[in-house]
Amino acid sequence: MPTQQSALAPLAGCVKLYGVMTHDQVEQSNAGSKQPRLHRWVRIAVIGHNPKVTLVRVAVLIVTCFIVFKFILLPIRVEGISMFPTYKDRSWYLVNQLAYLRHEPQRGDVVSIRLAGLHVMFMKRIIGLPGESVAFENGRVLINGEVLDEPYEKSPCDWNCPPVKLGPDEYYDVGDNRTMPQELHKHGETPRYRIVGKVLL
Amino acid sequence: MKIVFRIVLVAALAALGIWLWTVLFPSPEKVIRKRLTELARTASSSPGESDLARLAAARSLAGFFSTNVELQVELPELSRYSIMDRDEIMQAALMARSRTGELKVKFPDINVTVAPDKQSAVADLTVQANISGETDSIVQEMKFTLQKIDGQWLIIRVETVRTLSWRPQIYFHHFELCTAAGSFHS
Repeated sequence: MPTQQSALAPLAGCVKLYGVMTHDQVEQSNAGSKQPRLHRWVRIAVIGHNPKVTLVRVAVLIVTCFIVFKFILLPIRVEGISMFPTYKDRSWYLVNQLAYLRHEPQRGDVVSIRLAGLHVMFMKRIIGLPGESVAFENGRVLINGEVLDEPYEKSPCDWNCPPVKLGPDEYYDVGDNRTMPQELHKHGETPRYRIVGKVLL
Repeated sequence: MKIVFRIVLVAALAALGIWLWTVLFPSPEKVIRKRLTELARTASSSPGESDLARLAAARSLAGFFSTNVELQVELPELSRYSIMDRDEIMQAALMARSRTGELKVKFPDINVTVAPDKQSAVADLTVQANISGETDSIVQEMKFTLQKIDGQWLIIRVETVRTLSWRPQIYFHHFELCTAAGSFHS
């Protein structure tokens, strides 16, 4: 046993000697103290000081997003070229579903038109209002026999269509891309109830 | 604590019971929706189908319709045609499958109205079809009339709905496949 003690004595000294921290050990110790602090800051940044309050905030945010993007601003993605160049293919926009709460759709408005539901819709520009007569003559739009000024129309077109008298609740919708063949371009009268909202630029 | 536990247990059992009831005895609306979704899946085709698979799919597709079905389809981009027989549907499906490579059909919006006697129903739906090689999809609103025949909901009438009602003058002569549409068809 004494032998053992005497043998361990130098080691004890070593321990004492190395009890004074080396440079590496100081760094390790600092890192150790920083780690909980960093962890705490990350936690505060992610969860906040009060997790319950954060949970309520997240819930409010989710509900708000749901209401806004379901009932007010409908996100939509354009597919097709009938509104080119005003609205490009594969681009994203928002439809304001509350746009026509206080007033009826106006001429020149770009609107979304529902089919059986809201998952797939048409995107067209209103050129004819209820009660008006709409016709195409060599590419020009005639409203009640008068040429309609269309600053958004950039390309020449040769469409011809006899006058169509709109009903009291009907709008005439057409795309901006009149360079495509008339028979391939979906346009025409649509009842008011199909207009979902106004497309926001 | 025991009372709370019992209340929760009773509520859970009630919810489970209601769920089981809806699974075992689904409403006609649910059955029709499921059937129409199946129809869309059956109408879709994958590339490289064998003749036998094509025939089986066409037969399966015809099974969704009644024997004296009436199809009145008017598509400005395609054609106007009417079919008054289930066999004609099968022939048309076979022809369409052999012409198109890959076809994906979806009904993204289905609105079902069941008659009070629960023996007939009308489904207003949007058909979205994607053909391989085409960048855009074909979109058309359609109205399906269904009837319960021998306990099965069969389609007795199909007609197109004119969302935008302009009718081209060359409508009955110019039949060219058009592609356009999608989640938001412009």
